[in-house]
Amino acid sequence: MSILATKDTRVVIQGGAAGLNAARRMAEFCYMIRRPLNVDAFVYPPDSGKTNEVPYGSGLLTIPVFKTVAEATATHPQINTSLVYIGADRACAAGMEALNDPKIQLVSMITEGVPERDAKLLAQHARKLGKTFNGPSAIGIVSAGECRLGVIGGAFDNLVSCKLYREGSFGVITKSGGLSNEIIWICSQFADGITTAIGIGGDAYPGTDYVTYLEKFEQDPQTKAVVIVGEMGGDLEERAAEWYGLKKRRIKLLAVVSGFCQESLPKGMKFGHAGAKEGLKGEGSARSKAEAFKKAGAVVPDTFGALGPAIKAVYEELVKSGQVRPIPDLSSEDLPKLPKTVEEGMKAGEVTVTPLIKTTISDDRGDEPLYDGYPASELINKGYDIPHIVGLLWDKRLLSKQEAEIIKRIIMLSADHGPCVSGALATIIAACAGIGLSQAVAAGLIMIGPRFGGAVTDAGRWFKHAVDNKMSVDDFLTYMKKNVGPVPGIGHRVKSVRNPDKRVKELVSYVKSLGIPTPHLDFALEVEKVTSAKKDNLILNVDGTMAAVLVDLGFPVDSLNGFFILARTIGLIGHWVDQKRQESRLIRLFDYLVNYAAPKRREVPPLK
Amino acid sequence: MAKVLEGPGMGLMKKWGITVPNHVVVTSVEKLTTLGDANNWLKKSKLVVKAHEALGSRFKLGLVKVGLDLKGAQAAAKEMLGRQVGSITVSQVIVSEMVPHKEEYYAAVKSTREGAEILLASCGGIEVESNWDRVKKLAVVVGDTPSPDALEKLAKEVGFSKDLAKKVADFAGKLFACFDNEDAQYLEVNPVVVRESDGQLVALDAVTLLDADARFRHPDWDFPFAAEFGRAYTKNELEVMAVDSKIKGSVKFIEIPGGDTAMLPAGGGASVYYSDAVVARGGKLANYAEYSGDPPDWAVEVLTEKVCSLPAIRNIIVGGAIANFTDVKKTFGGIIAGFRKAKAEDRLHGVKIWVRRGGPREKEGLEAMRALRDEGFDIHVFDRHTPLTDIVDMALQRQTN
Repeated sequence: MSILATKDTRVVIQGGAAGLNAARRMAEFCYMIRRPLNVDAFVYPPDSGKTNEVPYGSGLLTIPVFKTVAEATATHPQINTSLVYIGADRACAAGMEALNDPKIQLVSMITEGVPERDAKLLAQHARKLGKTFNGPSAIGIVSAGECRLGVIGGAFDNLVSCKLYREGSFGVITKSGGLSNEIIWICSQFADGITTAIGIGGDAYPGTDYVTYLEKFEQDPQTKAVVIVGEMGGDLEERAAEWYGLKKRRIKLLAVVSGFCQESLPKGMKFGHAGAKEGLKGEGSARSKAEAFKKAGAVVPDTFGALGPAIKAVYEELVKSGQVRPIPDLSSEDLPKLPKTVEEGMKAGEVTVTPLIKTTISDDRGDEPLYDGYPASELINKGYDIPHIVGLLWDKRLLSKQEAEIIKRIIMLSADHGPCVSGALATIIAACAGIGLSQAVAAGLIMIGPRFGGAVTDAGRWFKHAVDNKMSVDDFLTYMKKNVGPVPGIGHRVKSVRNPDKRVKELVSYVKSLGIPTPHLDFALEVEKVTSAKKDNLILNVDGTMAAVLVDLGFPVDSLNGFFILARTIGLIGHWVDQKRQESRLIRLFDYLVNYAAPKRREVPPLK
Repeated sequence: MAKVLEGPGMGLMKKWGITVPNHVVVTSVEKLTTLGDANNWLKKSKLVVKAHEALGSRFKLGLVKVGLDLKGAQAAAKEMLGRQVGSITVSQVIVSEMVPHKEEYYAAVKSTREGAEILLASCGGIEVESNWDRVKKLAVVVGDTPSPDALEKLAKEVGFSKDLAKKVADFAGKLFACFDNEDAQYLEVNPVVVRESDGQLVALDAVTLLDADARFRHPDWDFPFAAEFGRAYTKNELEVMAVDSKIKGSVKFIEIPGGDTAMLPAGGGASVYYSDAVVARGGKLANYAEYSGDPPDWAVEVLTEKVCSLPAIRNIIVGGAIANFTDVKKTFGGIIAGFRKAKAEDRLHGVKIWVRRGGPREKEGLEAMRALRDEGFDIHVFDRHTPLTDIVDMALQRQTN
């Protein structure tokens, strides 16, 4: 037997993420005692109509989310209890909603920071309806072997070590949620464990006081003794003492009260829970409460540490008098084991996992990213620059200063080429249509291909093919004509021998000035000599120049288009921001720029 | 519970129809002079000047001056502003009109478990404190409003005669309306006086405690809450508060001068029990601290540094119950980092550290603490099998031996 939370308790949880977390903890408890999950529904208007997934053992239970408590209890009429995990500003309304539902008899509120007036209104309403309102700020209620409401009891291992899988003889009522675990543990170590433990919340006016719960424990034959963990402030402890002293009670009572330290603190200094923030000496002080309990015949240890031995003494007395029969503990082999998550299993060395993907360039698991093993901050502090990061992530090597300078120049030279080219135009049209940055830039990037900016990789591939195979320029051109078509990297729409591309000249002259071996660039320039002699605009274009230089630097052919994409992204972002700054409006093509070659208007024939 | 100073407290009472004397709150003599030009009453009335700070016994401290003209008020303000009382610097004064009166009464509304109690007495000032039996009470259940008849009956019980009883009942009704609508936890007017000029009841003082948790529904609470401690917060306390406001979970820190036992326990409930145990075993607390709700390790590290910086400490109590969900390894990581920093700064000479804790990842956390022994810390580590406050017993026993 137990009180409040029993085998028949069926729960609706009002709340979002915190409520779902509680449900998961409750499922762990149910799994331990081999009973089905006692949470039937959630109520959370933003998620109504959806479902929440609650792990149970190795499986996953699907629990519906409703808009109102009434809908939840209509669909699941066995529900008799609500746990409220709604924020402080809406907690009162949520608690009232639950109390007003005829099916619900117990409402326990975890929400902290609920205004006192709201807490009093909820408590009063519950009393009027003859229902129980527990909290606010209440961690929950747990009955060993039967039912857990909320997260009280802690993690699964702790549930087991506190023997919560079977009932003991001690009831617990505590204001402090943080001490609930401790006291449950003490009861399981110094005695045979708990029947029910109730966190009533540390606020000044808990919805239900000790006396109400003491009455219930007194009626529960399994509970032989009750431990109260109290705090200074208010008069709830005094009322409990008064109740206990009023007449001979069946249950033994043990009580600790905190706040003695206040007596030796400088005047005005107080700390602890909200409910503890009143009363120094006289009524409400720790001393008056402890005295009241002692006078009423309760056991009152002088520190919390002495509570364990005190519980032990009471327990031994109960055994001696035959009221309690010692029960053997279950060994953990006899209890269900909570399946480990993959992470836990791996940590314990119990499972191996075949990775889904493999990376060889970077690692994000520490406090900063490692690029090919080098910490980003160290690269910065040692003077490395963006081109070096490109080198590490694209080719897994640290570039020299000289190589980095070439990369930097390539990026600088091809960052933008005005608004008219395919990429920039696409981005500008998108920007004017109100499209966001990443999509608009992507629209521009989509244009990069065989006819615009995307010939770098192909140019590099064929120049490399020629140099690797020691082809002569003539052989190469013949080969290309026969097998490939126009030579990628050669030819320009507007530039020519007489109207040279300054970017190409700049890059070539810089690379040549370094005196490094540039077999691919040399070959490309030889090819240009021949092609441009044939036709004025068949010059080595910027793609081809970049390609030859980058192959000379040893970059893999497949990465080459990346240099143009990287560089031009700078320009595309610039164009998007530029349009945004101007608050440009939607643009469309003028019809006079279109040659309407479609058939003239004609009559639609009858449908056959 | 959040204390509100007299100025804003009177503002709230005025909002609910209670007559309060004309008053201004100023931070400088110049402002008072400027207001004097614009407000006739400042020139014409006799004035009271009070330090507008959360200070007790202002009379004794010479921080209340009565019967002044504007010049006198300026001089009083000049004298009070900037005065240092303990750790509080007077930065504001409230200047109000004196209300000529003969009799003084007492009215208050107090929060109770069932709702509220209205308290009335036909004597006021310090007289009521020595005649508490003359205070009569009316209980009001939460959600209810006391009827004018009930209030009048109470007023008559207190000893007010017919006409005055009606006025007092009306005043009490307004005070209750203020209490009920403003989420107050305590309102006290002492004294309430009858203004000689027009026979109106006027609130000459306002003690106002509001429910800080209800702030969300009072956008017109545009005043700060006063420090509850009767002293200003210290630099270290403010720094920990700043951290506390930024994190999930919480860290708290209060310095207590003259103590030798430093506290670094977890959880609001357990932390007070640890403090109690120190006092019970004859120790002297050097501080109060707590961390709870699984705070990030860096926040616990800041708290640890503050604890380690307390002067003349001999023991540090790193206590804690069996946590529900606070990650022991993680939070202990913060404490360990703080300890290492303190040691590097040569702070922990001869200081013994006592640890007791349970909860998620307790083994790893306690193991990491134990390993500090190898780094030369005088640290003693216990797990859940040692009762909660036994480390305090051990720490203080050692000290006396």
